[in-house]
Amino acid sequence: MGATKLSGMQKQVLSLYRGFLRAARSKPTTEDRKRIETVVSTEFRKNSKEVDRKNFQYIEYLLRLGHKQLDQLKSPDMVSISSVKIN
Amino acid sequence: MLRLPQRRICSQAVEKIRLSSSLSGNGDFPILKGHKAAQDLSKDTLKSHETIKDKEGQHKVTKKEFKIYRWNPDKPNTKPFLQSFFVDVSTCGPMVLDVLQKIKAEEDPSLSYRRSCREGICGSCSMNIDGTNTVACLKPTNSDTSKPTIITPLPHMYVIKDLVIDLTNFYQQYKSVEPWLKTRKPPKDGREHLQSPNDRKKLDGLYECILCACCTTSCPSYWWNPEEFPGPAALLQAYRWISDSRDEFREERLQAITEDERKVYRCRAIKNCTATCPKGLNPASAILKMKAKHSLPDPVKRIERA
Repeated sequence: MGATKLSGMQKQVLSLYRGFLRAARSKPTTEDRKRIETVVSTEFRKNSKEVDRKNFQYIEYLLRLGHKQLDQLKSPDMVSISSVKIN
Repeated sequence: MLRLPQRRICSQAVEKIRLSSSLSGNGDFPILKGHKAAQDLSKDTLKSHETIKDKEGQHKVTKKEFKIYRWNPDKPNTKPFLQSFFVDVSTCGPMVLDVLQKIKAEEDPSLSYRRSCREGICGSCSMNIDGTNTVACLKPTNSDTSKPTIITPLPHMYVIKDLVIDLTNFYQQYKSVEPWLKTRKPPKDGREHLQSPNDRKKLDGLYECILCACCTTSCPSYWWNPEEFPGPAALLQAYRWISDSRDEFREERLQAITEDERKVYRCRAIKNCTATCPKGLNPASAILKMKAKHSLPDPVKRIERA
Protein backbone atom coordinates (compact mmCIF):
# COMPACT_ATOMS: atom_id res chain seq x y z
CA MET A 1 0.00 0.00 0.00
CA GLY A 2 1.16 3.55 -0.61
CA ALA A 3 2.99 5.32 2.16
CA THR A 4 1.95 8.66 0.59
CA LYS A 5 -1.09 10.48 1.94
CA LEU A 6 -4.38 9.38 0.37
CA SER A 7 -6.47 12.01 -1.36
CA GLY A 8 -10.03 12.74 -0.17
CA MET A 9 -11.50 10.87 -3.09
CA GLN A 10 -9.36 7.82 -2.44
CA LYS A 11 -10.50 7.82 1.19
CA GLN A 12 -14.13 7.92 0.04
CA VAL A 13 -13.60 4.95 -2.26
CA LEU A 14 -11.90 2.96 0.49
CA SER A 15 -14.63 3.77 3.03
CA LEU A 16 -17.26 2.63 0.50
CA TYR A 17 -15.35 -0.62 0.01
CA ARG A 18 -15.17 -1.10 3.79
CA GLY A 19 -18.90 -0.40 4.01
CA PHE A 20 -19.62 -3.14 1.49
CA LEU A 21 -17.48 -5.66 3.34
CA ARG A 22 -19.16 -4.78 6.64
CA ALA A 23 -22.58 -5.20 5.04
CA ALA A 24 -21.47 -8.58 3.72
CA ARG A 25 -20.51 -9.70 7.22
CA SER A 26 -24.08 -9.13 8.46
CA LYS A 27 -25.60 -11.57 5.96
CA PRO A 28 -26.79 -14.99 7.23
CA THR A 29 -24.89 -17.63 5.24
CA THR A 30 -21.14 -17.82 4.50
CA GLU A 31 -21.64 -18.44 0.81
CA ASP A 32 -23.76 -15.27 0.54
CA ARG A 33 -20.97 -13.39 2.27
CA LYS A 34 -18.34 -14.83 -0.03
CA ARG A 35 -20.41 -14.03 -3.11
CA ILE A 36 -20.88 -10.40 -2.09
CA GLU A 37 -17.18 -10.06 -1.27
CA THR A 38 -16.04 -11.48 -4.61
CA VAL A 39 -18.47 -9.39 -6.66
CA VAL A 40 -17.56 -6.19 -4.84
CA SER A 41 -13.81 -6.78 -4.90
CA THR A 42 -13.75 -7.65 -8.61
CA GLU A 43 -15.81 -4.56 -9.42
CA PHE A 44 -13.56 -2.25 -7.40
CA ARG A 45 -10.33 -3.76 -8.75
CA LYS A 46 -11.59 -3.61 -12.35
CA ASN A 47 -12.54 0.03 -12.00
CA SER A 48 -9.27 0.95 -10.30
CA LYS A 49 -7.36 -0.37 -13.32
CA GLU A 50 -9.63 0.90 -16.09
CA VAL A 51 -10.74 4.32 -14.84
CA ASP A 52 -8.31 7.19 -15.19
CA ARG A 53 -7.30 8.65 -11.81
CA LYS A 54 -8.08 12.17 -12.98
CA ASN A 55 -11.58 11.41 -14.32
CA PHE A 56 -13.25 12.94 -11.25
CA GLN A 57 -16.69 13.15 -12.79
CA TYR A 58 -16.89 9.44 -13.52
CA ILE A 59 -15.36 8.46 -10.15
CA GLU A 60 -17.90 10.63 -8.31
CA TYR A 61 -20.66 9.06 -10.41
CA LEU A 62 -19.48 5.57 -9.43
CA LEU A 63 -19.24 6.60 -5.77
CA ARG A 64 -22.84 7.84 -5.75
CA LEU A 65 -24.01 4.68 -7.49
CA GLY A 66 -22.06 2.58 -5.00
CA HIS A 67 -23.55 4.39 -1.99
CA LYS A 68 -27.08 3.80 -3.30
CA GLN A 69 -26.35 0.11 -3.84
CA LEU A 70 -24.83 -0.13 -0.37
CA ASP A 71 -27.96 1.40 1.19
CA GLN A 72 -30.01 -1.22 -0.60
CA LEU A 73 -27.70 -4.03 0.49
CA LYS A 74 -27.78 -3.00 4.16
CA SER A 75 -31.47 -3.84 4.52
CA PRO A 76 -31.94 -7.30 6.15
CA ASP A 77 -34.17 -8.51 3.29
CA MET A 78 -31.32 -8.38 0.77
CA VAL A 79 -29.48 -11.65 0.68
CA SER A 80 -26.83 -11.28 -2.01
CA ILE A 81 -25.79 -9.40 -5.13
CA SER A 82 -24.61 -10.66 -8.47
CA SER A 83 -23.26 -9.07 -11.60
CA VAL A 84 -23.73 -10.00 -15.23
CA LYS A 85 -21.29 -9.11 -17.99
CA ILE A 86 -22.90 -8.11 -21.30
CA ASN A 87 -20.67 -7.61 -24.32
CA MET B 1 -44.18 11.31 -48.06
CA LEU B 2 -47.15 9.50 -46.56
CA ARG B 3 -47.73 12.51 -44.31
CA LEU B 4 -48.86 15.00 -46.97
CA PRO B 5 -52.22 13.33 -47.85
CA GLN B 6 -52.98 13.01 -44.13
CA ARG B 7 -52.60 16.76 -43.60
CA ARG B 8 -55.08 17.46 -46.39
CA ILE B 9 -57.65 15.23 -44.72
CA CYS B 10 -57.32 17.12 -41.42
CA SER B 11 -59.34 20.06 -42.96
CA GLN B 12 -56.97 23.00 -43.00
CA ALA B 13 -59.83 25.35 -43.87
CA VAL B 14 -61.54 24.58 -40.58
CA GLU B 15 -58.26 25.01 -38.74
CA LYS B 16 -57.68 28.41 -40.32
CA ILE B 17 -61.16 29.60 -39.33
CA ARG B 18 -60.62 28.43 -35.77
CA LEU B 19 -57.26 30.21 -35.55
CA SER B 20 -58.44 33.48 -37.06
CA SER B 21 -61.58 33.68 -34.90
CA SER B 22 -59.58 33.18 -31.73
CA LEU B 23 -57.01 35.77 -32.75
CA SER B 24 -59.58 38.37 -33.83
CA GLY B 25 -61.42 38.31 -30.47
CA ASN B 26 -58.39 39.68 -28.53
CA GLY B 27 -56.97 36.15 -28.39
CA ASP B 28 -59.73 35.18 -25.97
CA PHE B 29 -59.56 31.60 -24.83
CA PRO B 30 -62.73 30.88 -22.83
CA ILE B 31 -61.08 27.98 -21.06
CA LEU B 32 -58.35 30.25 -19.68
CA LYS B 33 -60.79 32.75 -18.22
CA GLY B 34 -59.21 34.73 -15.39
CA HIS B 35 -55.61 33.78 -16.12
CA LYS B 36 -54.17 36.69 -18.04
CA ALA B 37 -50.62 35.36 -18.13
CA ALA B 38 -51.77 32.05 -19.65
CA GLN B 39 -53.92 33.88 -22.22
CA ASP B 40 -50.99 36.08 -23.31
CA LEU B 41 -48.72 33.05 -23.58
CA SER B 42 -51.29 31.12 -25.62
CA LYS B 43 -51.84 34.09 -27.93
CA ASP B 44 -48.09 34.44 -28.56
CA THR B 45 -47.70 30.71 -29.10
CA LEU B 46 -50.54 30.70 -31.62
CA LYS B 47 -49.07 33.66 -33.51
CA SER B 48 -45.61 32.14 -33.70
CA HIS B 49 -47.07 28.78 -34.68
CA GLU B 50 -48.99 30.48 -37.53
CA THR B 51 -45.73 31.60 -39.10
CA ILE B 52 -44.58 28.02 -39.51
CA LYS B 53 -47.90 26.56 -40.66
CA ASP B 54 -48.72 25.63 -44.26
CA LYS B 55 -49.03 28.41 -46.79
CA GLU B 56 -51.80 27.48 -49.24
CA GLY B 57 -51.03 23.77 -49.11
CA GLN B 58 -47.24 24.07 -49.48
CA HIS B 59 -45.43 22.25 -46.76
CA LYS B 60 -42.93 24.76 -45.40
CA VAL B 61 -40.01 23.03 -43.77
CA THR B 62 -38.64 25.07 -40.84
CA LYS B 63 -35.63 23.48 -39.27
CA LYS B 64 -34.65 24.72 -35.85
CA GLU B 65 -31.46 23.90 -34.05
CA PHE B 66 -31.62 22.35 -30.57
CA LYS B 67 -28.44 22.03 -28.52
CA ILE B 68 -28.90 19.34 -25.91
CA TYR B 69 -26.53 18.43 -23.07
CA ARG B 70 -25.17 14.91 -23.44
CA TRP B 71 -23.12 12.75 -21.10
CA ASN B 72 -23.05 8.98 -21.08
CA PRO B 73 -21.71 7.17 -18.00
CA ASP B 74 -21.08 4.10 -20.16
CA LYS B 75 -18.49 6.14 -22.05
CA PRO B 76 -16.64 7.55 -19.06
CA ASN B 77 -13.76 9.11 -20.94
CA THR B 78 -15.92 11.50 -23.00
CA LYS B 79 -16.62 14.83 -21.36
CA PRO B 80 -20.15 16.32 -21.39
CA PHE B 81 -20.98 18.30 -24.53
CA LEU B 82 -23.86 20.08 -26.29
CA GLN B 83 -25.10 18.05 -29.24
CA SER B 84 -26.93 19.85 -32.06
CA PHE B 85 -30.13 18.43 -33.47
CA PHE B 86 -32.04 19.96 -36.36
CA VAL B 87 -35.79 19.41 -36.06
CA ASP B 88 -38.56 20.40 -38.47
CA VAL B 89 -40.82 22.22 -35.99
CA SER B 90 -43.74 22.48 -38.43
CA THR B 91 -44.29 18.72 -38.24
CA CYS B 92 -43.79 18.55 -34.52
CA GLY B 93 -45.95 19.35 -31.50
CA PRO B 94 -45.68 22.82 -29.98
CA MET B 95 -43.93 21.98 -26.70
CA VAL B 96 -40.26 21.25 -26.02
CA LEU B 97 -41.21 17.78 -24.79
CA ASP B 98 -42.69 17.02 -28.24
CA VAL B 99 -39.39 18.03 -29.80
CA LEU B 100 -37.46 15.76 -27.42
CA GLN B 101 -39.82 12.87 -28.21
CA LYS B 102 -39.32 13.47 -31.93
CA ILE B 103 -35.54 13.50 -31.58
CA LYS B 104 -35.57 10.33 -29.51
CA ALA B 105 -37.90 8.58 -31.94
CA GLU B 106 -36.27 9.60 -35.20
CA GLU B 107 -32.68 10.69 -34.69
CA ASP B 108 -31.08 9.45 -31.47
CA PRO B 109 -32.78 6.83 -29.29
CA SER B 110 -30.05 7.11 -26.65
CA LEU B 111 -31.20 10.59 -25.57
CA SER B 112 -32.32 10.17 -21.94
CA TYR B 113 -34.83 12.35 -20.10
CA ARG B 114 -37.62 11.89 -17.59
CA ARG B 115 -41.22 12.43 -18.69
CA SER B 116 -44.65 11.14 -17.69
CA CYS B 117 -47.90 13.09 -17.86
CA ARG B 118 -47.10 15.51 -20.73
CA GLU B 119 -49.53 18.00 -19.15
CA GLY B 120 -47.50 19.70 -16.42
CA ILE B 121 -48.85 17.87 -13.39
CA CYS B 122 -46.25 15.21 -12.61
CA GLY B 123 -43.13 17.38 -12.60
CA SER B 124 -40.91 14.73 -14.20
CA CYS B 125 -39.70 16.59 -17.30
CA SER B 126 -38.15 19.55 -15.47
CA MET B 127 -35.03 20.86 -17.19
CA ASN B 128 -33.26 24.08 -18.04
CA ILE B 129 -34.52 25.43 -21.40
CA ASP B 130 -32.83 28.55 -22.77
CA GLY B 131 -31.55 29.47 -19.33
CA THR B 132 -34.85 29.06 -17.45
CA ASN B 133 -35.87 26.08 -15.31
CA THR B 134 -39.27 24.82 -16.46
CA VAL B 135 -41.13 21.62 -17.24
CA ALA B 136 -40.61 20.71 -20.88
CA CYS B 137 -44.24 19.73 -21.43
CA LEU B 138 -45.49 23.25 -20.67
CA LYS B 139 -42.82 25.24 -22.47
CA PRO B 140 -43.68 26.10 -26.10
CA THR B 141 -40.74 25.93 -28.47
CA ASN B 142 -39.47 29.27 -29.63
CA SER B 143 -40.09 29.08 -33.39
CA ASP B 144 -37.39 31.66 -34.17
CA THR B 145 -35.05 29.58 -36.35
CA SER B 146 -32.15 32.02 -36.25
CA LYS B 147 -31.15 31.14 -32.69
CA PRO B 148 -30.63 27.63 -31.30
CA THR B 149 -32.54 26.48 -28.21
CA ILE B 150 -30.20 25.20 -25.51
CA ILE B 151 -31.54 22.39 -23.29
CA THR B 152 -29.50 21.39 -20.26
CA PRO B 153 -30.34 19.53 -17.05
CA LEU B 154 -31.34 21.46 -13.91
CA PRO B 155 -28.30 23.43 -12.76
CA HIS B 156 -25.93 22.41 -9.95
CA MET B 157 -27.28 18.86 -9.69
CA TYR B 158 -25.39 15.60 -10.19
CA VAL B 159 -26.09 14.18 -13.63
CA ILE B 160 -26.90 10.50 -14.02
CA LYS B 161 -27.20 10.54 -17.81
CA ASP B 162 -27.95 13.27 -20.40
CA LEU B 163 -30.86 15.25 -18.92
CA VAL B 164 -31.56 12.91 -15.99
CA ILE B 165 -30.36 14.22 -12.60
CA ASP B 166 -30.09 12.84 -9.08
CA LEU B 167 -33.00 14.18 -7.02
CA THR B 168 -32.67 11.95 -3.92
CA ASN B 169 -31.44 14.87 -1.80
CA PHE B 170 -34.41 16.96 -2.92
CA TYR B 171 -36.88 14.23 -1.96
CA GLN B 172 -35.20 13.64 1.38
CA GLN B 173 -35.48 17.34 2.19
CA TYR B 174 -39.18 17.22 1.29
CA LYS B 175 -39.56 14.24 3.63
CA SER B 176 -37.73 16.09 6.41
CA VAL B 177 -40.49 18.71 6.44
CA GLU B 178 -42.95 15.91 7.45
CA PRO B 179 -45.55 16.67 4.78
CA TRP B 180 -48.50 14.82 6.33
CA LEU B 181 -51.37 15.71 8.61
CA LYS B 182 -50.39 15.46 12.28
CA THR B 183 -53.15 15.51 14.87
CA ARG B 184 -53.42 14.73 18.57
CA LYS B 185 -57.09 13.87 18.71
CA PRO B 186 -59.17 11.72 16.36
CA PRO B 187 -61.69 13.59 14.12
CA LYS B 188 -64.76 15.12 15.78
CA ASP B 189 -67.37 13.03 13.98
CA GLY B 190 -65.08 10.04 13.94
CA ARG B 191 -64.65 10.06 10.14
CA GLU B 192 -63.07 13.21 8.68
CA HIS B 193 -61.22 16.26 9.88
CA LEU B 194 -63.59 18.96 8.63
CA GLN B 195 -62.42 22.27 7.22
CA SER B 196 -64.34 25.42 6.34
CA PRO B 197 -64.09 26.80 2.75
CA ASN B 198 -62.26 29.86 4.09
CA ASP B 199 -59.62 27.70 5.71
CA ARG B 200 -59.33 25.69 2.48
CA LYS B 201 -58.77 28.93 0.57
CA LYS B 202 -55.65 29.56 2.65
CA LEU B 203 -54.06 26.56 0.97
CA ASP B 204 -54.55 27.95 -2.55
CA GLY B 205 -51.19 28.68 -4.12
CA LEU B 206 -49.51 26.17 -1.81
CA TYR B 207 -51.01 22.79 -2.60
CA GLU B 208 -50.50 23.03 -6.38
CA CYS B 209 -46.76 22.36 -6.06
CA ILE B 210 -45.80 19.47 -8.35
CA LEU B 211 -42.34 19.02 -6.82
CA CYS B 212 -40.62 19.55 -10.15
CA ALA B 213 -37.52 20.96 -8.38
CA CYS B 214 -37.34 23.95 -10.75
CA CYS B 215 -37.38 26.49 -7.92
CA THR B 216 -34.95 24.67 -5.66
CA THR B 217 -32.37 24.25 -8.41
CA SER B 218 -32.66 27.91 -9.36
CA CYS B 219 -31.84 29.15 -5.86
CA PRO B 220 -28.19 30.25 -5.41
CA SER B 221 -28.54 29.70 -1.66
CA TYR B 222 -29.40 26.07 -2.43
CA TRP B 223 -26.47 25.77 -4.85
CA TRP B 224 -24.00 26.71 -2.14
CA ASN B 225 -25.58 24.59 0.65
CA PRO B 226 -27.59 21.72 -0.82
CA GLU B 227 -27.12 19.46 2.19
CA GLU B 228 -28.32 22.01 4.77
CA PHE B 229 -30.80 24.37 3.16
CA PRO B 230 -34.10 22.59 2.44
CA GLY B 231 -34.81 24.74 -0.62
CA PRO B 232 -37.89 26.75 -1.65
CA ALA B 233 -40.02 23.70 -2.60
CA ALA B 234 -39.64 22.01 0.80
CA LEU B 235 -40.20 25.32 2.61
CA LEU B 236 -43.32 26.01 0.54
CA GLN B 237 -44.68 22.64 1.58
CA ALA B 238 -43.70 23.32 5.20
CA TYR B 239 -45.76 26.51 5.02
CA ARG B 240 -48.62 24.55 3.40
CA TRP B 241 -48.77 22.30 6.46
CA ILE B 242 -48.34 25.17 8.89
CA SER B 243 -51.30 27.00 7.34
CA ASP B 244 -53.52 23.90 7.19
CA SER B 245 -56.24 24.41 9.79
CA ARG B 246 -56.65 20.67 10.37
CA ASP B 247 -53.03 20.23 11.47
CA GLU B 248 -52.50 20.41 15.25
CA PHE B 249 -48.71 20.59 15.33
CA ARG B 250 -48.46 24.11 13.90
CA GLU B 251 -46.22 25.53 16.62
CA GLU B 252 -43.84 22.59 16.52
CA ARG B 253 -43.56 22.73 12.72
CA LEU B 254 -42.84 26.44 12.81
CA GLN B 255 -40.30 26.00 15.57
CA ALA B 256 -38.53 23.17 13.74
CA ILE B 257 -38.21 25.17 10.56
CA THR B 258 -37.02 28.38 12.21
CA GLU B 259 -34.92 27.07 15.08
CA ASP B 260 -31.47 27.53 13.53
CA GLU B 261 -30.04 29.57 10.71
CA ARG B 262 -29.76 26.57 8.38
CA LYS B 263 -33.42 26.17 7.48
CA VAL B 264 -35.66 29.12 6.74
CA TYR B 265 -33.09 31.77 7.51
CA ARG B 266 -30.75 30.58 4.77
CA CYS B 267 -33.19 32.24 2.37
CA ARG B 268 -31.83 35.58 1.19
CA ALA B 269 -34.97 36.66 -0.72
CA ILE B 270 -33.24 36.20 -4.08
CA LYS B 271 -36.68 35.34 -5.56
CA ASN B 272 -35.35 33.19 -8.39
CA CYS B 273 -37.80 30.55 -7.21
CA THR B 274 -40.91 32.64 -7.88
CA ALA B 275 -39.57 33.79 -11.25
CA THR B 276 -39.00 30.26 -12.49
CA CYS B 277 -41.95 28.31 -11.08
CA PRO B 278 -43.75 26.68 -14.04
CA LYS B 279 -47.05 26.62 -12.10
CA GLY B 280 -46.83 30.30 -11.13
CA LEU B 281 -46.51 29.66 -7.38
CA ASN B 282 -44.73 31.99 -4.98
CA PRO B 283 -42.32 30.18 -2.63
CA ALA B 284 -40.57 33.43 -1.74
CA SER B 285 -43.71 34.95 -0.25
CA ALA B 286 -44.43 31.74 1.70
CA ILE B 287 -40.93 31.84 3.20
CA LEU B 288 -41.37 35.52 4.03
CA LYS B 289 -44.67 34.75 5.77
CA MET B 290 -42.98 32.03 7.81
CA LYS B 291 -40.25 34.44 8.89
CA ALA B 292 -42.95 36.97 9.81
CA LYS B 293 -44.91 34.33 11.77
CA HIS B 294 -41.76 33.49 13.68
CA SER B 295 -40.76 37.03 14.56
CA LEU B 296 -44.22 38.38 15.30
CA PRO B 297 -46.62 36.20 17.30
CA ASP B 298 -50.23 35.95 16.12
CA PRO B 299 -52.38 38.86 17.37
CA VAL B 300 -55.09 36.39 18.46
CA LYS B 301 -52.64 34.57 20.68
CA ARG B 302 -51.54 37.77 22.39
CA ILE B 303 -55.11 38.66 23.42
CA GLU B 304 -55.62 35.14 24.72
CA ARG B 305 -52.58 35.40 26.99
CA ALA B 306 -53.77 38.72 28.40
